[in-house]
Amino acid sequence: MMRLAVLVLAALLAAASPAAAQAPLTAVRVPGSGPIVDPGAGVWRAARGVTVPMLPQTVTAPQKPEPAVNTLTVRAVHNGGWIGFLVEWRDPTLSTRIVVDTFGDQVAIQLPVDVTGPTPSPMMGNPGGRVNIMQWRAAFQHDIDYGPPSVKDLYPNAWTDYYPDEVLSATDARPYTGALGVENPISRGRASPVLDQMAEGWGSMTVKPDQHALGTGVWKEGVWRVVITRPMVSDDPNAPRLTPGVKTVVGFAVWEGGNQEVGSRKAWSPWVPLVVGAAAPARPAGATPPTGATGQPAGGRR
Amino acid sequence: MARVHNWQLGREMDFPYEARRPDRQFAMIFDTNKCISCQTCTVACKTTWTSGRGQEYMYWNNVETKPYGYYPLGWDVHILDRLGVQPLDGPVYQGKTLFDAAPTGEIILGYLPEDIDYAHPNIGEDDCTGLMPQGAHLSMPHMQWMFYLPRICNHCTYPACLSACPRQSIYKRKEDGIVLLDQSRCRGYRECARACPYKKVYFNAQTRVSEKCIGCYPAVEGGRQTQCTTSCIGKIRIQGFLGAPDAPDPDNPLDYLVFVRRVALPLYPQFGLEPNTYYIPPVHVPPPYLRQMFGGGAEQAIATYRAAREDRKLLGALLLFGATPEISHFFRVDGDQVIGYDAKQAEIVRVPLHEPPAVRELYDVKHRAYRTNIT
Repeated sequence: MMRLAVLVLAALLAAASPAAAQAPLTAVRVPGSGPIVDPGAGVWRAARGVTVPMLPQTVTAPQKPEPAVNTLTVRAVHNGGWIGFLVEWRDPTLSTRIVVDTFGDQVAIQLPVDVTGPTPSPMMGNPGGRVNIMQWRAAFQHDIDYGPPSVKDLYPNAWTDYYPDEVLSATDARPYTGALGVENPISRGRASPVLDQMAEGWGSMTVKPDQHALGTGVWKEGVWRVVITRPMVSDDPNAPRLTPGVKTVVGFAVWEGGNQEVGSRKAWSPWVPLVVGAAAPARPAGATPPTGATGQPAGGRR
Repeated sequence: MARVHNWQLGREMDFPYEARRPDRQFAMIFDTNKCISCQTCTVACKTTWTSGRGQEYMYWNNVETKPYGYYPLGWDVHILDRLGVQPLDGPVYQGKTLFDAAPTGEIILGYLPEDIDYAHPNIGEDDCTGLMPQGAHLSMPHMQWMFYLPRICNHCTYPACLSACPRQSIYKRKEDGIVLLDQSRCRGYRECARACPYKKVYFNAQTRVSEKCIGCYPAVEGGRQTQCTTSCIGKIRIQGFLGAPDAPDPDNPLDYLVFVRRVALPLYPQFGLEPNTYYIPPVHVPPPYLRQMFGGGAEQAIATYRAAREDRKLLGALLLFGATPEISHFFRVDGDQVIGYDAKQAEIVRVPLHEPPAVRELYDVKHRAYRTNIT
């Protein structure tokens, strides 16, 4: 047990410091204003793609020792008001249908709430080391693009005589609506496919009362391209202040639903250095535009 | 892992949390010998709690035919197969619990059923173990057999669902031991559905979180038994509370039947969850099967049960089944009657130990008709 504890501590310490070999992610200043939500927008050409190695989560149970996604390619830009992250990864199976034995694709970005204080644990923070976790879910994206699936959508051959909400008042039918009736934020009916959350260690993830994170995900030819964006500064005390010039860290987690990844059964990254650029630099040498980027809004969304 | 005492195993065992027994434990006893699988309990539960969208396939209460009926498909044989053959002899269980058998990186040994496993709620209904060959005759135990197994959430003392939830969305109430799943906290990971060996946690694809039996807590808080219990036309159930395993109250009907007389046994106690629904085993089923399902006390439980006719207190406790919608906290045999009392010792029901025979005349004068035996 002692040996395990030492190994876990060593892993945490190693992960808590940005790896020396990990290239920093710079959020490049780009023109424009408002949320940066289009994965196909031309602004991403200004940003260098950083490859982030993903590790299996093996510190706490339960685990998925062999997650499907090994690397993410990440870009970051900001327009002075909003900061956006474009995350890309190969995923041959589109997982948006959630039933008993299927799970959805997801990706999350993690930032320390206090960008000037001690760096929190990369594993969803620690008591006193609060992190902001913005999690995009393919199922939410599907809800927004096509509407939330009905029972008939999920099970075409299903038949029911009637439901309580068809014969009772809304108040009387509410007990039959389960999590929807108590407005569980992960259920459905969301305006954004991104959950704006905070945590101080695993098991403590809490959806914030004020939701500021937006985004869009597009799956095409076996690649997910997901943008997650948030205001750089807000009045939310549980959000980082990402003013130009700030140097902090960013972390990532990804779930391949087709590989039964959910919750702590995931791939995660150690902290990656993040620099919020002060001004729009010239295009870096060797930078390549993101996969499929055309400068035009993405089409053929699935 | 903490070390906790599991009285059903007769030993300490590992559990992720410290032992904290509730003030009293919600419990239910089923007399399998009286169940006819009419599913009235199932429908009562369904119409009360799970008629909403996404709950179509949910049966917080179900009745299945054993050995070939399951809901979901193969729930018990799947987990028994994963656990492997374990020694079941002796008063102290020497085998592995599901917590002992957890693979690396897991809290408990489990599996997530496939969607299609829920497609046939009453598969195997009335299927017998085999055909009756030429020369077959009635014997005990029966040569070929089946029986009905009603099931709800076991509101376990050491719940697998609770232990596996990474978010502590599942909690066990201090006041009555009912295990509840917080609908506002759950995030639909289905670790609970994977972990529960009884497969009594269900995922709602409409709300994207899991749901489970709530022990009819609004009724129980008001002193009334659950819907599945009060609707049972066969009067096979009693629901109430268990006290401390090491200090049973012989005047509490559930303590008396479970702890004192040991006539009602837990379902698959070897899993290590200390489940709190208890079964009077079917008298006609071969003992090896019963030992696997209900533990080593199955044969003694049947012997005790078969002698209940001559055992006034035992008979009295058994006759409280289905006798009142209220919870009998205490009981007493008085003369030729058993009396049930509520928590404040007020009488709530009185049942004769022996129903007097009624003889009807062959000719009904009032209706000017002969009574015939319709059977």
